[in-house]
Amino acid sequence: MNEQIKIDFEKTFKTSGLSETDVNLKKKFLDKFILNGFPNRKLENWKFSDINQIIHKNIGELSFFSDYSSSNKIDTSVFIDGLEHNKIVFINGRVEKIDFSYEDDEKIKLNETSETESEIKSFNSLVDLNNAFSSKIYKISIKKDYHLKKPLVIYNTTNNKIKSKSINIRLKFELDQNSSLRLIDYNNHQSEKNFINIFYDFELKKNSILKNYKIDNDHNKNIGYSFNNINQDENSFSENFILSSGSSFFKNEINCNLNGNYSSAFVNGIISLMNDQHHEIRTSINHLVENTKSYQLIKSVLGKDSKAVYQGKIFVNSQAQKTDGYQLSKAILLDESSEFNAKPELEIYADDVKCSHGSASGSLDENSIFYLMSRGLNYRQSKELLINGFMLDVIDKITDPEVKNLVKNMIGLKE
Amino acid sequence: MLKINNLSANIENKSILKGFSLNIKPGEVHAIMGPNGSGKSTLSNILSGKKGYEVTGDILFENKNLFDLETEERAHIGIFLAFQYPLEIPGVNTNIFLKTSLNAIRKARGEKELDAIEFLKLVKEKAKELKFDEEKLSRQLNVGFSGGEKKKNEILQMSMLAPKLSILDETDSGLDIDALKIVADGVNTLRNKENSFLIITHYQRLLDYIKPDFVHVLMNGKIIKSGGPELALELEKKGYESFN
Ligand SMILES: Nc1ncnc2c1ncn2[C@@H]1O[C@H](COP(=O)(O)OP(=O)(O)O)[C@@H](O)[C@H]1O
Ligand SMILES: [Mg+2]
Repeated sequence: MNEQIKIDFEKTFKTSGLSETDVNLKKKFLDKFILNGFPNRKLENWKFSDINQIIHKNIGELSFFSDYSSSNKIDTSVFIDGLEHNKIVFINGRVEKIDFSYEDDEKIKLNETSETESEIKSFNSLVDLNNAFSSKIYKISIKKDYHLKKPLVIYNTTNNKIKSKSINIRLKFELDQNSSLRLIDYNNHQSEKNFINIFYDFELKKNSILKNYKIDNDHNKNIGYSFNNINQDENSFSENFILSSGSSFFKNEINCNLNGNYSSAFVNGIISLMNDQHHEIRTSINHLVENTKSYQLIKSVLGKDSKAVYQGKIFVNSQAQKTDGYQLSKAILLDESSEFNAKPELEIYADDVKCSHGSASGSLDENSIFYLMSRGLNYRQSKELLINGFMLDVIDKITDPEVKNLVKNMIGLKE
Repeated sequence: MLKINNLSANIENKSILKGFSLNIKPGEVHAIMGPNGSGKSTLSNILSGKKGYEVTGDILFENKNLFDLETEERAHIGIFLAFQYPLEIPGVNTNIFLKTSLNAIRKARGEKELDAIEFLKLVKEKAKELKFDEEKLSRQLNVGFSGGEKKKNEILQMSMLAPKLSILDETDSGLDIDALKIVADGVNTLRNKENSFLIITHYQRLLDYIKPDFVHVLMNGKIIKSGGPELALELEKKGYESFN
């Protein structure tokens, strides 16, 4: 792999138009990735999955070359219907369209930016890979007191021209004081057998509000990894919702640093899988000052041969008194072959805190099925009603009514 | 209408029903009384098609062999069980459940399915008759309902679905006298020459309001005595032991 990846790197950036400084910095990330390779099971975060093996099994040999020089045609049929929104469209890792037409121009700043040396310190080799190969990085800054009128949808799409490729998507967000952003990540793939690696940074200033809805719902044979790194100042609020269902493998990782008093983070997720799919959610919520709050609710519905993992970490350092941390995961196993692993990790160094965690999994309740069938519903209807009911409280945690409806429609939940 | 002949049932190698026979004709109301653990709920469950029992014997409903029919098919042909312990179904809206149920049964009978407006009109009417708090209809099914509300919800479902054979498994247990009368009203409204009832109870109290045609005493897995309404009074006075 090592020789090929270097060749792919040269080829990718020969025509990219990036400055020499940028390319040199990218090289450092590349060297670091080559040194460490893909994460392996010895790492705490990757206990339950061997990404090397997953890539090998699902993709085979991976090519790292990204063609950033020629543009791709946008397929407008993938755009979300019935919801007015701003958009950034990625196709095969290349930004093809940026459209903030619903917003006040001067309230949103869009910068091309570079990596910084400091990121080289990260311990995440997929982030290194992303930094090495992603194209120019956009930083989206929302000005003070501005609330975006419409949600921003990031279309992470691929077309059928690519196969066995590593695709890297990178964005930075800064929400200034009292600003707010509703961000929908919408994964839609016409391709198969690619490795899609998404990395977002968020800086939430005082009193700002981020709502990030991550949607992987359309069935596809790609492998995905998404990493949110969130830094939160005083009284900021982040809501992360994950619908994890479409890809062959998908891992969502959220690292959230609650740096300011009264900041809070919510992670709610649904993992719904069938045949051989394997999805994971890994969170790490770091309570670093007093009076911060986190809440996590993850529900999984797992069909035949599928596997889900939830690793939720709550870290409370010694200054972070009055921390309120909560996490709960529940799974319905629809078949004997389905597998759910939950690994809560509480690391608490303060004494005046309220932290709790819980996890439960089991099959559909036969008595409930019997009750519904005795009212004339067939087995399929009864099962569907129970599963929808099981997922409903996670959906109800979505604080944005428009997005809540969107998600309900996507998973076929009727009012 | 319902012919049970020599029914035996085992669960986990434990014999529960041991040669149970019963014949219910259209329009009749039968009461079954029996001590705890005598197999009353087992009988109800088997009639509704619950899995997990080893059974022998025959059950015919309108000349159809019930063992050939799935649980939902039995509901479609008009069998209804009011559960002794109605289940709580989180996340499922009571109204949506009722509408799905009613339309599944109407469809199976070849009747037109009700649209949202027709359904709401009907359910509101029935809820009013049963003094069932309408607000509960928009809540999750049985979640946070009191014991009495759960039982009334069973009777509401019965009234909506208008079954040919209604089995009430200890619907009266734990009800105050007002709720008891409402349950009895629900039954009496549905009672006619075609519809039959199998009422399982511990107390003869309910039978003051729903006058049965026959009373049966179930002990050790079979009927040991049958008679008219006077049998319930006798049972109340003397207790089950006197029949042993
Ligand atoms: N699922 C089961 N597994 C094992 N034993 C059962 C099960 N269900 C019922 N029983 C037993 O069968 C007997 C009859 O139970 P049941 O029909 O509920 O009685 P009743 O309704 O008359 O009180 C009891 O002894 C009970 O413990
Ligand atoms: Mg019972």
